[in-house]
Amino acid sequence: MATTENIKKAYIDYVLTEGTQPKSVYIFAKKHKLTEAEFYNHFGSFDALEQSIWTDFAKTTIAEIQGQDVWQGYTAREKGLSFFYSFFELLKGSRSFAVYSVKQLPKGFTTPRVFQGLKEEFENFSNSILNEGLDSGELSDRKFISKRYKDALWIQFVFVLNFWIHDDSAGFEKTDEAIEKGLNVTFDLFQRSPIDNLFEYGKFLAKNAGFKEPAGFSGF
Amino acid sequence: MSEQTPKEQNSIPTSKVQRSGKFVKTGIKVGGNYLKHYSKKLFNPELDRSELNEDNAADIYQSLSELKGSALKVAQMLSMDKNLLPQAYVDKFSQSQYNAPPLSGPLIVQTFKKYFGKSPDKIFDKFEPKSSNAASIGQVHRAELNGKKLAIKIQYPGVGNSISSDLKMVKPFAFRIMGISGKDLDIYMNEVEERLLEETDYELEVRRSISFSEACADLNNVVFPQYYPEFSSKRIITMDWLEGKHLREFLQTDPSQELRNQIGQALWDFYNFQQHELRAVHADPHPGNFLITAEGKLGVIDFGCVKEMPEDFYYPFFSLISADLLENKEETIKAFRQLDMIHPNDTPEQIAFYYGMYRQMIELFAKPYITDHFDFSETAFFDDLYGFGEKIAKMPEFKQPRGVKHFIYINRTNFGLYSILHELKATVKTDTYKPHVVLTY
Repeated sequence: MATTENIKKAYIDYVLTEGTQPKSVYIFAKKHKLTEAEFYNHFGSFDALEQSIWTDFAKTTIAEIQGQDVWQGYTAREKGLSFFYSFFELLKGSRSFAVYSVKQLPKGFTTPRVFQGLKEEFENFSNSILNEGLDSGELSDRKFISKRYKDALWIQFVFVLNFWIHDDSAGFEKTDEAIEKGLNVTFDLFQRSPIDNLFEYGKFLAKNAGFKEPAGFSGF
Repeated sequence: MSEQTPKEQNSIPTSKVQRSGKFVKTGIKVGGNYLKHYSKKLFNPELDRSELNEDNAADIYQSLSELKGSALKVAQMLSMDKNLLPQAYVDKFSQSQYNAPPLSGPLIVQTFKKYFGKSPDKIFDKFEPKSSNAASIGQVHRAELNGKKLAIKIQYPGVGNSISSDLKMVKPFAFRIMGISGKDLDIYMNEVEERLLEETDYELEVRRSISFSEACADLNNVVFPQYYPEFSSKRIITMDWLEGKHLREFLQTDPSQELRNQIGQALWDFYNFQQHELRAVHADPHPGNFLITAEGKLGVIDFGCVKEMPEDFYYPFFSLISADLLENKEETIKAFRQLDMIHPNDTPEQIAFYYGMYRQMIELFAKPYITDHFDFSETAFFDDLYGFGEKIAKMPEFKQPRGVKHFIYINRTNFGLYSILHELKATVKTDTYKPHVVLTY
C-alpha cells in the first residue's frame, strides 16, 4: 500500500532524475506500481503534491522550533529569526528539490500554487508571533499598518528563499547573514521608531496647521 | 597618568575609549555614506558605487590621520609613514568589528547546529545566551560543562568575506588620497589581508593556541586557558574561562611595584621567548588580549594573530639590535639592504642618509636590549620614540615605503609590548631570552 510519504519520495526522485514533472499521473503511477486511483486518493494533481511537500517543510519547522526549550523565552523577533534559520537548515536536506521546484515557478506577482499551503502556514505562524509582540508592546501597533506586518515577513521570506537558491557560499553562510540582517531591519521597523513620531507630527500638522485653508502666505 | 607627563604626551589619546570613539564616528559617517548612496540610487539607478567608495575612503582616512594613538604613532615610525595605512586598516578592521551588532539568540543556535548538529544547551550543562563581551570578530559567551567554567567565542558570519571585499573597495581610493601608487603598497596590504583572514579561521586559531601554550608552558607567571578542539569549529572556539582583570582594571587597583614588575617580566619573557625561540609570535599585544589573575599571573587569551618570521628577516633584523653589529658600518648596510631598507638603486648620498636615519632608529628601538634590565616607566625613552616618528613622518625621503613586509607586524608587536610595559611602569630584566645574532652578512 502506497503512503503519502512514499508517493512524495517517489515524486521527488522522479523530478530530480528526469528534471521535469511526469507527463501524466498514469505514467507516474505505472512506474511505481500504483493504480491511478491510489494516487488520487492522496493527491489531486502533481501541483497539489508539490504544494504539500512545501507545506510540510513549514509544519516541520514550526513543530521543531516550538519544541525547543528556549522557545518560551524568545521575543517575537527571535521567534521569527528562529523560524527562518530552522526552515533553511531543514531545506538544506532537500535543496535539489527546492531549487528544482522554485525554478519551475511561473514568474508573476501572485503566490504560485505550490506555495499556497506554505504561505498559509507561514502567515498563521507570523500572525501568532506578531500578535504576541503587539500584546507585549515589543512591536508598535499602528492603525492599518500593523495588519500588514505579516505581508512584510512573507516578502522577506520569498526574498531569502531566492537568495538561498542562488547562494554559493560555504555552508550557506551568506544566507545566515541575509536572515540576520534582513529580519533585524524588518523588526526594527515594526518597533516604535522615528517613523511613528513622523506620523504623529503629520497628524498634528494636518489638524492644526490649517492645510485646508488657502496657503497662509496669501494673507500678506 | 601623573601631572609631570610632558605636554606632547597629553595630546596623544592613549585611552582606548578615545580611540574607539574616533572609530565609532567613522562608522557613523560611513553608514551615512551608504544611506546617501542608496537614496541617490533611488532616483538614479545608473549610479555606480565609486562615489560611495570615495566618500568612505575619505572618511576612514580622515579619522585615521586624526588618530594619534600610540600604536599608530609608533607604527608610523618604522613603517615610514606610508605603511601607516595598512596599520590603520588593521586597527580599523579589528575596531569596526567591535561595533558589529551582537548575534541574535537564534543565530547562535543555528551556528551550533550547523557545526555540531546540536543546540548549545544540549552540548553544555549551562550556556549563557547573552554574550559577556565582544571579541574582535565575534562575541564571547559563558558556559559550563562538568563543573568547568568555559568561554565560548562565536564568530559573526561572513567576516572573512567582508574583510577581503572591504580591503579591495577602499584600497584604490585610499591610495589616491595619499597620493602614491598602489603598487608600492601592495605587498604590505597583502600581508595585512593575509593576517586578517587568518584571524577569521578559528580552527587554525585553536591549533595555534594549543601549540603555543604548550611551547610556552615553562615560562614563569604566564598561564593559558585550556582549549577544547572537540567543541570548536570554523566559527566557534571553546576554552576555559580565565578569571582575571584586564590591564586597565588591574592598574586601577594600584598594584605594588613588585607586582607590576612581575607582570611586566611575564610579558617580556612571553614575547621574547616566542620571537627568539619559536620565531613565531602572538602579534596582537592589545591590552584586551591579556588578563591578570588574582595570583598575579599573566593570562593570554587570544592567538588569532600570529606572525611567523622567516630566517632572512629574523637574523638581519635582530642582529641589528646587538651593539656589535651596529658598530660595523659595512655589515650594517648589508643588513639594511637585506631588509630592503636600502634599495639596490639608491645613490651613495641616499645610502648615507638612510643609513644614518635607520641607525638612529634601531639604536632607539634596541635600548631595552642593550642593558640587562630596563625601566619602562621612563617617559624620556618614549618621548624620543614618538619624537623620532614625528620627525620621520614629515620627511619627503620617507614618502615611498621601505622595508620588507614583515616589519608591519613585528613592529606592531614590539612597540605594542613597549607601550604596555610603559603603562605598567615596569622594570624588566631584558636578558632572559636574548636575540640570536649573526655578526656578518
